[in-house]
Amino acid sequence: MKLQFKLALYNTLTKIAIITMLGILILASIDNITVNHIQKRLLQKKDRLVSNLSTIEINELLNQRTFTDYNLLREEYIILKELKKGEAPIKQKFSIEQRSIEGNEESFKILITDFSYKGKKYRLELGATMSTLSQLKHTISMFTFGILIAAVILTLITDLAFTQFLLAPFYQIIDKKLNKVNDPINFNYEPVKTSTEDFRILDQSISVLMQKIANLFITEKEFIANVSHELLTPISVLNTRLENLLTDEQLSQEGENKIFASLKTLNRLKAIINSLLLISKVENNQYGKGDQISITDTVNDVYEELEHRLLMMKLSLNINLPFDHHFMGNRSLFHTLISNLVNNAIKYNVNKGSINITSTRTTQHYLLSIADTGIGMDAAVIENAFVRFEKLNSEKADSHGLGLAIVRSIAAFHQLQVDIQSEKNKGTTVVIRFPLSAS
Amino acid sequence: MNILIVEDEKTLALEMAEFLGKEGYTIEHAWKKSSAAEKIFVNSYDFILLDLGLPGGDGFELLHQLKQIPGREDAVIILTARGDVDDRIKGLEAGADDYLPKPFSLTELLARMHAIIRRKHKLEMNEVKIHDFVLDIKNHKLSFEGQKINLTNKEFEIFNYLVLNKNRVISRVNLTEHVWGDILEVNSDSNFVDVHVKNLRKKLTACTPIDWFETVRSIGYRINF
Repeated sequence: MKLQFKLALYNTLTKIAIITMLGILILASIDNITVNHIQKRLLQKKDRLVSNLSTIEINELLNQRTFTDYNLLREEYIILKELKKGEAPIKQKFSIEQRSIEGNEESFKILITDFSYKGKKYRLELGATMSTLSQLKHTISMFTFGILIAAVILTLITDLAFTQFLLAPFYQIIDKKLNKVNDPINFNYEPVKTSTEDFRILDQSISVLMQKIANLFITEKEFIANVSHELLTPISVLNTRLENLLTDEQLSQEGENKIFASLKTLNRLKAIINSLLLISKVENNQYGKGDQISITDTVNDVYEELEHRLLMMKLSLNINLPFDHHFMGNRSLFHTLISNLVNNAIKYNVNKGSINITSTRTTQHYLLSIADTGIGMDAAVIENAFVRFEKLNSEKADSHGLGLAIVRSIAAFHQLQVDIQSEKNKGTTVVIRFPLSAS
Repeated sequence: MNILIVEDEKTLALEMAEFLGKEGYTIEHAWKKSSAAEKIFVNSYDFILLDLGLPGGDGFELLHQLKQIPGREDAVIILTARGDVDDRIKGLEAGADDYLPKPFSLTELLARMHAIIRRKHKLEMNEVKIHDFVLDIKNHKLSFEGQKINLTNKEFEIFNYLVLNKNRVISRVNLTEHVWGDILEVNSDSNFVDVHVKNLRKKLTACTPIDWFETVRSIGYRINF
C-alpha cells in the first residue's frame, strides 16, 4: 500500500476512534446530567410551591377529583396528601417509578417530600416524565453519528489531498531516480523541488550513491577497453606473424601443421577473451535496448544459421511457436542468447536426436523452452551450469565453459529468467521466462 | 595499389606490410596521428588501414579530416582492438568502408579489401576464371562451360574465399569465421564446415575432375591455380 494511503487511513481510523469514544462518553453522561437536571427542577418547583402556599390552594389540591394535576403536555404532575398520624415523615426522596396516565404507562422521576403548613403535615409528590430524556438521548446520538460521518469524509479528503501534496516530491524521487533508472551514467542529478528536509536528504543520498556507481561503471568501462586493447593486440601480432610464416615456401609439412595448431590455439584464446569481454560489457550496460525483438523471428534466424550443424549429427529440430512475443531489447545480444542455447542443444545431443523449441503463455509470462534429447546433466551439474568456465561435459574439447555464463548475463540484462531442467541421459530443457507486462 | 597502414604497434604493422607486399601492394607506414595526418594530406591512397587507438589522438579524428578533403576516395578499413560497442557503427557512420576487429586474419583482411575494390572501383574483374570454371563474384554465380552451377549461399562464400586466397591453405577456423562471422563459441572441432565443402566438391566434380581443390588433412582447404 502506498504511504499516502496508509497515512490517510491512519488519520481516518484515529479520528473515528476519538469521535466514537466521545460519543459513548456523552451518551453515558447524558443520563446523569438529565437526571440531575430533572431533580433540580423538581426541587425548584417544590420550593416555589411551598413558599407560595395558601390554604385555598391546599384545599384545591387536596380536593382534586383525580388527585393529580397534569399540565398540558402531561409531562409533570403534582399530588398533595394530608399526612396521617403515626406515618413516618419523609424529608425528601427521589425515585423512578411507572405511572399510568390515561392508559399510557410512562417512566416518571418522582420527588416525595413532607412539609407542615399551619400546624398540619402534608405529603407532596411531584413527578416529571423521563420520556424527554430518551428523546434527548436519541437526538444526541444521531447528532454524534452525523458529526462522525462528516468528520470521517472530510478528514479522508483533506488527508489525501494534503499527503498527496506533501509526498509529491517523495514519489517523484522514487519514480524518476529509482524506478526509471537502469543506466547510472545517464542519471538525472537535478534535485527534486521540495521543502521537506527528509526528502532533500533522501534525494541527495541517492544522487551521491548514483555518482559513486556511475564512477565505478566508468572505471570498469575504461578497464574493459584497456583489457581489450592490451590482450587483443598481442594476439593480433601473433596471428599475423603465424599467417606470414605459412607463406614461406620452405616450410616443412610438420612446421605447417604446428603453425596451424598454434593458430587454432590462438583462436581459442581470442574466443575466450571475446566471451569474457562480452559478459563484462553486458554487465557494464554498454549495450542499448532500443530494438523491438520478435522471438519467433530470432528463433528462425538462429535456426537458419545453425541448420548446417544439425546436418552433421542428423538432428531434427522442431519449432512450434503458436504465438509470438515482442519486447524491447538488444537484438544481437538476444540472438547470441538463443544461438548459445540452441548450440548447446546441438552440441550435447546424441546422433539422430531431436530439439524441440516450443512456447507457452500464462497470464504473467511468456515461456520459451528449448528441449533436447541429449546427454543431460546431474542436479549438481545444473547448479554450476551458469558458472564461468564450468564445462558441462569435459569430453567436448571445443567448449570453453562460457556459453551459459553469456546466456545468464544477457538474460539478466533483459530481465529474463532462465531455468534448466535436466535428467542424465534423457535430455535438457531450458526455459526462458519473459514477463508479459514489460512488453 | 598503395596502402597506408596507420598503426602504432610496429610488429603488427610490419607483418601486415609483409603479407600485403607479397600480394603486390605498395605499403607506407604511419606510427602516430600527426605523421598519419601529414601523409593523408599529401598523398592519396587506395587503402588506409586505420587503427583507432593512436599515440597523439583518436583514429576517428583522422577519418574526419580525410572526409573533409574534397575529391578523396581513399577506402578506409578500421582495425581496432578497442572494445567499444558503438565503435563499429561510429566508424561506418563516419565514412569508413569496413571495420575489422582485432585480432583478425590477414586472409580475411584481403577478402574485405577485394570486396571494397569491387564495390568502389566497379572493376571489370568481377569474373574470375578457375581452371574451367567461371566465378561471377558480382552476381554470386558459378558456371562451367556456360552452364550455371546451383550453389547455396554458404557454398558460394566458401568457394569465393578459397579462390580469393588461392594457393594458400585456409584453415577451417578461418573459413568458418569468414562465412559465419565472428562466432564466440569456436566449434573448430565439429568440422561442420566440412559438410558444406563436401557438397560443394560434389557439385564441382559432377562437371569435371577437380584435383586443384585440395583438402589439407586436419587443417583445411586449398585451391590452386
